[in-house]
Amino acid sequence: MHAGFIFLAVIVGSVLFHIFTPWYWTDIASNWGAMDDTITLTFWVGGGVFVAVCLFMVYCVFKFSYKEGRKVEYKPEDKKLEKILTWATTIGVVALLAPGLVVWNQYVNVPKNAIEIDVMAWQWGWQYRLPGKDGKLGNTKIVNINEDNPFGIILEDPNGNDDVLIQSDVINLKTNRPVKILLRSVDVLHNWYVPQFRAKMDAIPGVITYYWFEPNKTGEYEVLCAEYCGVGHYAMRGGVNVQSEEDYEKWLQEQETFSDLIAKQKKLELETEKLAKKINLNIE
Amino acid sequence: MSDPKIEGLELKPGFKGMASDTASDQTMFKGVHWGKAMMWIFLLSDTFVFSCFLIAYMKGRGSTPVEWPNPSEVFALDAFGVPVPLLLIAIMTFVLITSSGTMALAVKYGYEKNRKMCGWLVLATAMGGLTFVGMQAFEWSKLIHEGVRPWENPFGAAQFGSFFFMITGFHGTHVSIGVIFLFIYSYKVFAGHYDTGKRGWFTTMKGDYVEIEILGLYWHFVDLVWVFIFAFFYLW
Amino acid sequence: MSEEYENNKSSYQAQSSETISGDGASSAPDMDYVRPAEIGEQDLYHGHSFITKWIFCQDAKVIGVQYFLTAVFTGIVGLILSWLMRLQLGFPELAGFMTAEHYYQFVTMHGMIMVVYFLTALFLGGFGNYLIPLMVGARDMVFPYVNMISFWMFFIAVAVLMASFFVPGGPTGSGWTLYPPQAILEGTPGSGAGILLMLISLSLFVIGFTMGGLNYLITVLQARTRGMTLMRMPLTVWGIFTATVLAMLAFPALLVSSIMMTLDKVLGTSFFMPTILKAGEVLEYGGGSPILFQHLFWFFGHPEVYIVALPAFGIVSDLISVHSRKNIFGYRMMVWAIVGIGALSFFVWAHHMYVSGMNPWFGFFFATTTLIIAVPTAMKVYNWILTLWRGNIRMNTVMLWCLGFIVTFVNGGITGIFLGNVTVDVPLSDTYFVIAHFHMVMGIAPLMVIMGAVYHWFPLVAGRMLDEKLGKWHFWITFLGAYSIYFPMHYLGFIGVPRRYFEMYDSPYMTSAVGMNEFISLAAFIVGAAQFILIYNIIKTLKVGKPAGKNPWKANSLEWHTSTVPPEHGNFGDRLPVVHRWAYDYSVPGANDDFIPQTTPPSEVINTEVEKT
Repeated sequence: MHAGFIFLAVIVGSVLFHIFTPWYWTDIASNWGAMDDTITLTFWVGGGVFVAVCLFMVYCVFKFSYKEGRKVEYKPEDKKLEKILTWATTIGVVALLAPGLVVWNQYVNVPKNAIEIDVMAWQWGWQYRLPGKDGKLGNTKIVNINEDNPFGIILEDPNGNDDVLIQSDVINLKTNRPVKILLRSVDVLHNWYVPQFRAKMDAIPGVITYYWFEPNKTGEYEVLCAEYCGVGHYAMRGGVNVQSEEDYEKWLQEQETFSDLIAKQKKLELETEKLAKKINLNIE
Repeated sequence: MSDPKIEGLELKPGFKGMASDTASDQTMFKGVHWGKAMMWIFLLSDTFVFSCFLIAYMKGRGSTPVEWPNPSEVFALDAFGVPVPLLLIAIMTFVLITSSGTMALAVKYGYEKNRKMCGWLVLATAMGGLTFVGMQAFEWSKLIHEGVRPWENPFGAAQFGSFFFMITGFHGTHVSIGVIFLFIYSYKVFAGHYDTGKRGWFTTMKGDYVEIEILGLYWHFVDLVWVFIFAFFYLW
Repeated sequence: MSEEYENNKSSYQAQSSETISGDGASSAPDMDYVRPAEIGEQDLYHGHSFITKWIFCQDAKVIGVQYFLTAVFTGIVGLILSWLMRLQLGFPELAGFMTAEHYYQFVTMHGMIMVVYFLTALFLGGFGNYLIPLMVGARDMVFPYVNMISFWMFFIAVAVLMASFFVPGGPTGSGWTLYPPQAILEGTPGSGAGILLMLISLSLFVIGFTMGGLNYLITVLQARTRGMTLMRMPLTVWGIFTATVLAMLAFPALLVSSIMMTLDKVLGTSFFMPTILKAGEVLEYGGGSPILFQHLFWFFGHPEVYIVALPAFGIVSDLISVHSRKNIFGYRMMVWAIVGIGALSFFVWAHHMYVSGMNPWFGFFFATTTLIIAVPTAMKVYNWILTLWRGNIRMNTVMLWCLGFIVTFVNGGITGIFLGNVTVDVPLSDTYFVIAHFHMVMGIAPLMVIMGAVYHWFPLVAGRMLDEKLGKWHFWITFLGAYSIYFPMHYLGFIGVPRRYFEMYDSPYMTSAVGMNEFISLAAFIVGAAQFILIYNIIKTLKVGKPAGKNPWKANSLEWHTSTVPPEHGNFGDRLPVVHRWAYDYSVPGANDDFIPQTTPPSEVINTEVEKT
């Protein structure tokens, strides 16, 4: 069989695979439809080039297979053709790049009404913190982290007292309200990634990084760690629960704030103290 | 070095000459010894090594949360009971630059086939380098005595110690390698290997005074790097 | 530029009559004039004993073969590691012996071995050593002794790397990017001796490579034969030369980051280590920047991609040209594209870091520079297929590998445009799409070239022709198999399956991937096994292969015009060849043969309409 047929089959097969593939992106659940659009655009332009180049190659293979004494063209270069190809490619590249940069501009500029969420990562788990009534998150320090202060909030910072602490790897979000994910890590690199939201960013110890999205579909989604973080990387999962506004507010009311936590701990301490005194008395 | 004469090719100055050399056959750098061309390219690569170190240093210094120590205090030396900032470094830099001068003279006498002068000057350069390394060792021990370690630093940011020891250490290694070769070469000069064209250990090429120039290139480079390290660590 | 050269020529034509005597009887002496040699003959050290001839040998050709064999050995290790990984991903129930630690160690070692110790060493150390002196018409590399040391440095680097399999804790499992802080902390397999040996091995590799690289550069710049101008060199030499320049400027960043991380590990400095809380305790580190390492690493890492790709570009250009009996289309464009891609590759490194948390504004700059590279790269692809056009294509094994290269390279290049364009990269980065992309473009595509080059130059190295039938089986299994591994894998990335996952669990969008993973694993086993066809073919050919004779492919470049086949030490016998033309005068109208070797003087082919080069 002529080798050209197999190459042709590979190209046709690739195109058919792309059309009929059962494996394709998950249904989008955020505002980043533009990212899907840029991918689709790149597919059209890039796929077109791939098919054109490979078909031309296959054509050459069929047409110019070795024949003794075939007259071969001797033409070291063709300035005009090369110029045309260069400009055509440049235009194609610009057509792909420009929309990409426009969307990236949206990606790095966070809307003003975004809710800030502190996502804290460690080997290997997640926990979250939401701003309280004041809408501001308190500052944190890694060295402050201990059992009484799981997020390492700086006690002197008044913004921190009403922060809502969610010591679980699942967080709830409300639909149609942008969220700004503030990522931090206490040990190594991590990445808070939900495939349905498309967006992602690494968490770096010592730095706070961010990105934003607007969930627009209620449902439960799985959070994956998308930056290799050691042997438990594959098991570092979390969850997101996107809810309607009412459900979300209800859920929010039930969560504990930092001052609640401190009060609870004080109470606990007092009780232990009392208990200790009692025991002492009894012994005496 | 006198202008090389290339048979069948007229060497032209300036950009035109560069273009015609590039377009010609056989060699790109006309009349340039293989070893000399190699040293230039090696130094280009080494420049990138030191640039990476210094850029890392700038980034590290810029991003550390603890304050950077004040160099004129850390590097001060007590002279007759008065702390003089940068005294030792000034002497070190002076010694190293002077050794570059003796190296340049050695190259000159080498090409004049003045065996004795060339040998003594190479030896003088080696002594200069050795003095530099010795003073650096003194400075290291002084800092270590004061409690500066690669991982900690009583004067401020720990990265100060890390970068200081790493970069001056790396540079010091370069100087030490240079000193070893300077001693070897001074022996080779005195023994007349470059006059008789005796073959070296690492190459099948015949010995030639051009090797002094090649080593000189390395030595001037090490000097130049020191100027940058000096500026970045002691003056910034 | 050319005008200058013309002027020079007229100025020295006066003395030409005596210098050309001996270049063969010629009717028009001025026409065949080539400038006399500028430098005298190179002194060569000829080995006498077995040890100086085959082990500590100073002949670049033997060193090239040594590099080749060592690199292939590490490559086979890398291949076996990839089988183990695929076993875990496709059939975890059969891979019960494998823990997550093992898996991550295999991932890491596979990546590092294949990129640095296999591909880089094979292209630059192997093909570079063998071909550069032959193709530019030199007796040997300019510093044979340093060249020998270079190989043994590489050998020690490989030995140190392999030793890490046997130390307590095993080799490092930090991913081939070795990102700190994770690479040197507990919680990553091999964070003790493993990572240290890796860093030491890399440093040795850089030192050894620098010695070799200086040789390649000076040989190309200063030791070409008479008449060999830069613009007459075969593209293979251009590719390897430019890649070496990149390596000389990019490896320093790797060396520096290796040194700094070694100090972080051994002395407890904090170059890359911020304050870290681990298992409830704050570690002794603080104040360092993990991003700094990523910048240094990718300043090396991106040019590294082109260190592998450019020699492949060069070699494949030559193979396509020889086997379609046609000059390479747009030679000058090809040279400038190689040089341009090389230069640009230093300004794009942070496209590996779009979602790394660096200042997001860098994204605009690096996306733009990255997509600019697409233009010269596309030009190269056009020129390859335009070389085929109106040629006379021999459909032999070598050509098949070249065609396979074009398909896989275009495919991988286009997925590169996805990942280089910052917005498109966000959903796809750190997923299987990335794995598929870089395996296609810098794994399979260069491998296709390596295989093509092996089938092409084996007759020169061993003097016998490899078996065509076995070669075709080898090609089709490898090409179709590799394509069906990596083409579907892109779609795993679209689903959102992250890379470096030991186990997928049962996320709804990942369960659909199970079937595909099994398929990919099966294909990987077959493709890997198919490589042993080549080894069998080589052994068989060495015993009973058809003698190749001189210049079996009817090629023009100098390596086929040596005094003996295979070439002896010194390459060209008594007299170095004199070059009169570029390496691509195939099917010149008016010529008797369909090729005119570079050594043929113009007076012998006086009736042809040959292009002036």
